[in-house]
This record gives sequence, C-alpha cells and structure tokens, in this order.
Amino acid sequence: MDKDFLIQLAASAAAVGALIALAAWAKIARPAGPLDERKARTILTEEFPGRAVQNLWIASDGAGALARSGGLALVICQVGDGFVARQAPWAQVVCASFKDGKLRINLDDISAPTAVIALPAWPPKDLAA
Amino acid sequence: MKGIDPVALATPLFIVTIILEIVLTRLCKLKAHYEARDTAASLFMGLGSSVAGLATGGLVVAATLWVYQHRLFDIPMTVVWAWVAIFLLEDLTYYVFHRLSHERRFWWAAHVNHHTSQHYNLSTALRQTWTGGLAGTWALWLPLAFLGFPPAMIALQKGISLVYQYWIHTEAIRRMPRWFEAVFNTPSHHRVHHARNPIYLDRNYAGILIVWDRLFGTFQPELTAEPCRYGVVKNLGTFNILRVAFHEWIAMAADVSRHPRHLLGYVFGPPGWSHDASRETSAMIKARARVSG
Repeated sequence: MDKDFLIQLAASAAAVGALIALAAWAKIARPAGPLDERKARTILTEEFPGRAVQNLWIASDGAGALARSGGLALVICQVGDGFVARQAPWAQVVCASFKDGKLRINLDDISAPTAVIALPAWPPKDLAA
Repeated sequence: MKGIDPVALATPLFIVTIILEIVLTRLCKLKAHYEARDTAASLFMGLGSSVAGLATGGLVVAATLWVYQHRLFDIPMTVVWAWVAIFLLEDLTYYVFHRLSHERRFWWAAHVNHHTSQHYNLSTALRQTWTGGLAGTWALWLPLAFLGFPPAMIALQKGISLVYQYWIHTEAIRRMPRWFEAVFNTPSHHRVHHARNPIYLDRNYAGILIVWDRLFGTFQPELTAEPCRYGVVKNLGTFNILRVAFHEWIAMAADVSRHPRHLLGYVFGPPGWSHDASRETSAMIKARARVSG
C-alpha cells in the first residue's frame, strides 16, 4: 500500500465516522413504530403471498410477530427501521428456547440466523401439538 | 496505468452530497431516510471495497496489459470517435456484467451486498462489493483491450460510469426531464432496480444508458401504483458487515456441501434455484405475482 492510498483511506475512514454520527443525529429513519395486528398482517401478506394465517402473536415490545400457517411458522422481526421475514417449521418453533419472556427461533439462515420475539408465554398450550 | 481516477476525485463530492441529503432531509427540504446502522454498513462496505480491490488490482492490471499487447487495432486516445466508442462499448459491457451479476448465483454472491440495504439513499451507492475481484467479472472488460482501447482509457471510462451511477441512488429526485429518462439511467429507473417488488425484480441493469434495457427487454418503468420496497427478496436480519459481504458465498457453499450432485445448479443457476424447487427464483416470483394479479 502506498502512502497516498493510506492517507486517502484514513481520510475516508474519518469521513465515514462523521457521516454515521450525522445520520444518527438527524433522526431521519423511517417511522417504523411498534407492530400492531393490522401492520403485521400487511407485512405477512407482502412477504408470504397466498399463505393463510391461522394464528398470530404480536411481540409484546412490538418488534416482531409470529404466525402459524399450516405446518409453517411465519416470523417477522424488526431490524433497524425495517422488517425481515423468514419461515421455519412450526414443530421446531414450538420447541424453541423461551427464556425471560423471549422466544429465540433458530432460522438456519446465515443472513438472518436468529429471531428473538418477546412474548408473555410460550408455547401456547392449545396449539403446541 | 496510474493516472486520473474519477472515483478518487469524486470522493469529496460523495461526502458533501451525503451531508447535504441528510441535512436537507432533517430540515424537511428533501425526502430521504437514513438509519444510522444501515448507513454505517453501507459506508464501511464502501471503505472495505477499496481495500479489497488492492488484492486483485494487480492481477486485473496485468491481465489487461497482457491482452492489450495482443490487440487487434491501435485505437488512439486523442480522437473523439474513440471516446464515443469506448463510452458505448464500456456501457454495454457494464450492462452484461450487471445482468450476469443478478442472473447467475456465483456472481450474485459478489454483487448481492450492494442490494442488502432496505434504504435507498446516496450512502447505498457506496455499499460496494468486497469479492468482485475474486468473482472475476473484471474479465468481461478484457475484450475492450483486445480490440485496442488503451488500458488507461478503459479504466477512466469505468471510473466515469461508477461516478455517474452514484447520484442516481436517491429518492430525493422523482423524475428527470422526459428526454433524459428515455436515454439515461436515472434515480427513477435505478429505484426500480433496487426494489424487491416482484414486478421490479431483475430489471434496469443499465450503467449510464437505459437504452440497453429497452433494447434487450429488461426495462421496467417506476409505477406510481407500485411504490418501491427496497432490499433483497430475503432481507438481511443483521447489520454485521462480514455477513453483508459473505452471506451468499457461505450459503452457496453450504448448499453445495449438502447437495454436491447439484453443484452446477447451486453455483451457476439463478439465485433462488434449488434442486427440489423448494425455493423461488426471480422468474418464479414474478410468474406467481402475475397469476395472483
């Protein structure tokens, strides 16, 4: 690496830091807000078109939701000011680890390894089968 | 081949315009959205890309010079027609590169990171690949050297194209004048390219001239009734830049190790291809969306 490149890299790194600070200060993220049932259903329809939702649980902090659709669990999670959706086998989600009011779902996906959904209790007694 | 580098020259412009986009949005003079962690991921990807480029930069230069030594013609840098020709041919090469980078998984693995932001602002333009050199798509530009365009001329035109493509990563500009939209790639056309709505998938691959998409049937105008939703079909659940840079490579390797008999499909098939049709390609998503109306 030559000296000019290192100087340019250092200056760019400093600028990157300043721009991130400016973006944080500006508070101009999308107004995501907590999920409610209507919003969760809209996202589910967009992300899983044609999939009927039998049951829907909204995270108590509004940062996610979990739906059952036949043998599948449809999961949506807030990431930044957006949402990410994945599906997982229902049987696996029913057995997922639930600790301190948080359900941790292993999504088996390198780009979204785990979903954490805050729920009052899990699994729901009448649906665990 | 050391000479004018349009990207290096334009870096101060990148910084100033991002500041302007953020500040003017904060003052309600522009429409844009910035999320700090998303912005950090984009900018660090850009910074990392310039470092990663060093790893293969020597190879690219050496290969280009070697091919140039075996050129068909001597094309001078001092005549206007040569610049017109390199502009058109480089832009066509970019179209081919970009289409390949979306339609075959091996090259998508290198390019996907540019599409992983759920935002569309000037910082998104800087979310550049770390693995493009390794993916070898630079070889697509070698025929230009074989034709006889000097390597410095090719590098300069590539840089000009990259700088051109920076300003179109914005929601702040709705539409350019009609004649401009007809010929050039614009913020509106490129918003479509970054959108994950089924109708917009795998469309508008242009670099500078949108005419290539119109010619080859990949053009899709932005529709008022279909607002762009940005990102990839399966958006990332993390801002970790290592996952942003390498997730598709790792997923591809995992698929190949699980199903070695289907190596060719998992590596060179379209993104989303699977041997048992358990996943969807863009074509399948588009077809399903068309059926459901």
